[in-house]
Amino acid sequence: MRAFAPFAAFCLSAATVFAANLVEIKEPARVTASFSAKAPVRVVNVWATWCVPCVEEMDDLRAISDMFGTRVSLVGISLDDMIPGDRTAIKRKVTDFLDNKRITYINIYYSGNSDALADKLRFNGEIPITIVYDRSGREVWRQQGKLDRNKAIAEIRKQLGRNR
Amino acid sequence: MRKVFAIALMFLAVAAIADELAIGAKAPAFTLANAVDGKTYAFKPGDGKISVVFFTCNQCPYAKAFEPRLIEIAKQYQAKGVNFYAIDPNDENIFADETVANMKDRAVSKGYPYPYLKDGDSAIARAYGARVTPHVYVIDQTGTLRYRGYVDDSARPEERTKSGLTDALNALLANKPVANTETRAFGCTIKWKKSA
Repeated sequence: MRAFAPFAAFCLSAATVFAANLVEIKEPARVTASFSAKAPVRVVNVWATWCVPCVEEMDDLRAISDMFGTRVSLVGISLDDMIPGDRTAIKRKVTDFLDNKRITYINIYYSGNSDALADKLRFNGEIPITIVYDRSGREVWRQQGKLDRNKAIAEIRKQLGRNR
Repeated sequence: MRKVFAIALMFLAVAAIADELAIGAKAPAFTLANAVDGKTYAFKPGDGKISVVFFTCNQCPYAKAFEPRLIEIAKQYQAKGVNFYAIDPNDENIFADETVANMKDRAVSKGYPYPYLKDGDSAIARAYGARVTPHVYVIDQTGTLRYRGYVDDSARPEERTKSGLTDALNALLANKPVANTETRAFGCTIKWKKSA
């Protein structure tokens, strides 16, 4: 039993490090309230597990999150709820996906009206989309379609430079 | 300089919107083969029929989520004289699900009440300015585009509050103007066939 304890502690700590941070939100207005107030740059990424290019860019988003730490508040918005089915099972699928990708930045399980969300973020319904905002909430850059990692990093660096 | 750049951006934005077929424009004609039997279907806008042209596919889960609803709507409105054309514009080299053989399997197993047409070079999707699957277009008896956008505002029947497609069809069948002519089509981006 004693020999098992360190192993259990290791498993627990690993689980804590990689635990997905998924919050259900129905109201589009609450999406932007999910950003960290302290972060000078905010990034939102709209995605779904059923969207192939969204899945393909997830490693890049995790790398961006790891690279900038608390200087960038990255919020993912999953639209998995758009596909009819049992919500608990779909949420589980999203959580498992995030755990598998070792993504710990905040993710929203959006269960509201997709049109209302697209109005709020001003996008045309195609995902993925990634939008960068400055501290004041002003949009400074967006990419419709699969993320160009280097362009996104350059844009975030530019914004961080302005905030020095 | 910034002002010039901003103006250039505005023009680019206008150009991007202009790529989508405008409400009131003449719908593009097409002749495509049905994946089920190889029979050619020619859509001639202005043929005196109300027509629904929609872009869909085999692979996209969101398009598949709307499949039962589109089958139900088609059966209901075909009885009122409306023609339906389902078009798959996706490149089968990107997703093997999109081959004509796989399209046939899906159409047969689901009992599609409409032809399932292969837009092999994505040219018809480009001509309509479609962006995603599913993306729906309603054309009136004169060949004029009267509605484009989503089927409904939610794929979850219990959360549906607006039905863009049936609202448009009901208006046209009653010889009334379509109230909501453009809605935002959500879905999977079309997997474009690259031009040779």
